Amino acid sequence: MAEDVHKNTEVNGSKQPFPTSAKSFSAEDEAALTEVLKRCSPATIEAAVKFRKTGDPLPVPTVVIGIIERFAEPDQRARLRGADDDLRLIEDLGIDSLTMMEIVILVEDALQMSINNDELRNLRTLGDIKIFIDCKVRGLPPPKPSRFLPIEHIGAVMPIQPPFLFLNEATIGSTSASAKYKITGDEFFLKGHFKDNPVMPASIMLEAIGQLAVLFLIEGGHGEEGKQADPQTIYFTGCEGVRAHRVCKPGDTLTISIKPKRLKMPLATIEGQIRVGQEKAVYVEEITLTYGFREAIVQPAPAAVPASALPKAVHSLPAAAARVITPATA
Amino acid sequence: MSKVYITGLGLITSIGNDLAGITRSLRELRHGFEVYPPFDKPDVPVKVVGTIKDFSVDSSDPEDWVFPKRYSIKREILRGLAPNSLFAYCSMLQAIEDARLSPEDVANPQTGLYAASGGSPFLTHHYHERMLKVGVMRTSPLGIVASIAGTLNFNLVAHFKILGASCGFSSACASSMHALGFAHEEIRTGRQQRMFVVGAEDCNTDSILPFAGMRALSLQTDPSLASRPFDVARDGFVGTGGGAVVVLESEEEVARRGVRPYAEVAGWGQASDGYNVAISHPDGVGLHLAMKLALKDSGYAPEEVDYVNAHATSTPIGDASEIKALKAVFKTPGARPAISGTKALTGHGLSLSGAMETAFCAVALREGFMPGSAHISQLDPLCEGLNILRTTVSEAPKVVLNNSSGFGGANVCTVLKQAK
Repeated sequence: MAEDVHKNTEVNGSKQPFPTSAKSFSAEDEAALTEVLKRCSPATIEAAVKFRKTGDPLPVPTVVIGIIERFAEPDQRARLRGADDDLRLIEDLGIDSLTMMEIVILVEDALQMSINNDELRNLRTLGDIKIFIDCKVRGLPPPKPSRFLPIEHIGAVMPIQPPFLFLNEATIGSTSASAKYKITGDEFFLKGHFKDNPVMPASIMLEAIGQLAVLFLIEGGHGEEGKQADPQTIYFTGCEGVRAHRVCKPGDTLTISIKPKRLKMPLATIEGQIRVGQEKAVYVEEITLTYGFREAIVQPAPAAVPASALPKAVHSLPAAAARVITPATA
Repeated sequence: MSKVYITGLGLITSIGNDLAGITRSLRELRHGFEVYPPFDKPDVPVKVVGTIKDFSVDSSDPEDWVFPKRYSIKREILRGLAPNSLFAYCSMLQAIEDARLSPEDVANPQTGLYAASGGSPFLTHHYHERMLKVGVMRTSPLGIVASIAGTLNFNLVAHFKILGASCGFSSACASSMHALGFAHEEIRTGRQQRMFVVGAEDCNTDSILPFAGMRALSLQTDPSLASRPFDVARDGFVGTGGGAVVVLESEEEVARRGVRPYAEVAGWGQASDGYNVAISHPDGVGLHLAMKLALKDSGYAPEEVDYVNAHATSTPIGDASEIKALKAVFKTPGARPAISGTKALTGHGLSLSGAMETAFCAVALREGFMPGSAHISQLDPLCEGLNILRTTVSEAPKVVLNNSSGFGGANVCTVLKQAK
């Protein structure tokens, strides 16, 4: 499935990658660029001028973040500064699909590149955008887009099942993953942990981080093309540097995120954390899992491979992103 | 059938941006004309415009616009507006406040909005130029909704969360009068309890100057002579823009909310010339019939009409047609209403004019005066037998007839009466 998405992107991706050799950049070009970016910060303009003059991709993220900031509502701008790459534009920043297009048009104008609808649909987080633009200016193929996985998909592929599954939804990228879990209060263990005082056990929160790592491996996060992690072979081996910062209770929504540190079969080491809103709840320096690959991949994928058996629609982005192509009921 | 009342007004016009200022201008016959700097070119023979003060909307980028501080508008809304929809948005805020409507009164299935504007030729031009210059995929995603003729209903319905009937009307200078007539119908027949009637136009080179081609604009350079309906030397209309919102409500709602209406909309009528695409019928055939139908609909005889707000744009042909139509309607003995054209003060607001002049009539009915027809130094002899008001009279009209005519020979008239 992951391969399908990737291929699709390559086929429909921009046919004209940005030429890395910088054209001559005249004083008029600079004046026009400054005019286009007039509502952005001076640092944004400076970075854009530098990029256009030299073709050096280093200032590009500054330009992109500066343009997003210019379109975000003033009260949301603080969140953008120092935000991590998991920040979602639509859900977290309240940027709607039309504003997303305004952002893209200004990025295109400032960096002199073109981004098509198919590419736009895959850009969900700040990290997605940074990586995408970086590939674009370097003339590299765009990365595998991150994919949103609803609970139906998670339930179908995971070896862990309710009542011990602590992921409600997940987003799997090529170099990170995030997930959400809402503590309902109905979890069986909360009856006893603690008496008359339900508190999510820190061990279960570590378990949730581990479960996201399992999902990441199953969904191809190990990075080895053509190989598939076998859900029946994934086990916990150890963890290091665990710190809990906040008591989590029923009603809290846990935002779980992981980043791989080392990936080489049979060991996967990831770094993970859980936040509730903007508050840090749990941090773990390392969780290590052991895993193995399936013997061979049967093609075309039969029902034995649950991920591929699911309808394609399951893997597409949610409605918010799909709206990008049909903004109005004109 | 329900009676229909005017309970709120909002206006951004060349003669003022609030009711107090506009009332003063109407009473004292102060015009809103200026020599318009963009027309200060040798190849532009037109010089005078009914400018909108305190708004600076010459940029194609709404974030550059300057407008009075009392209207705070988020970027998210601003990006989909044209100058005319900005004027209408501000007028809408005024009208809601004036009618003392709560957010629930505005957003419910019993409240609708009918609107009329010619769109924004200025922004259409800008977006098309940009499309050709920088590429099809780099035009503003909201360029269409900002610039086409439906911009008022698209924006206002979305931003004010209108849930009832909504649509736009397109009959050129009769548009917002059509909107008023059909809005009246919605309430009279019980389909809606409340309707916002909105008219607005840009006020810039692109919205006004194309009328020079058909020789419809006055070439006068003196702002106090340019617009003079019924004067023998009138030579065309003076362009203007702005916004007007009229709130109509059923008698049930007026009673429930305990508000004091400006006036009652007693009836309306419309008829067409079937004559020429741009020239009114020389005998005012359609306008004559529209006035008769409006009087019949409201149950009044011609002699009961106290004041007529004429369409009177100050064009030689248009005014002559209307004069003939007025003579034909008010030929019965004792039928001698005071007649004036307030476009002598404002200029011609095109789609906006019907709603704007309805608001003026509502103010006249409530405040008890009849505005004079300004700038007449020599009355057209054709007006013989008609009572053209040369100065404002502090006398309360009881029944008012309001005329509107548009291209293609569309004529709409409404009858307003004093609210008891």
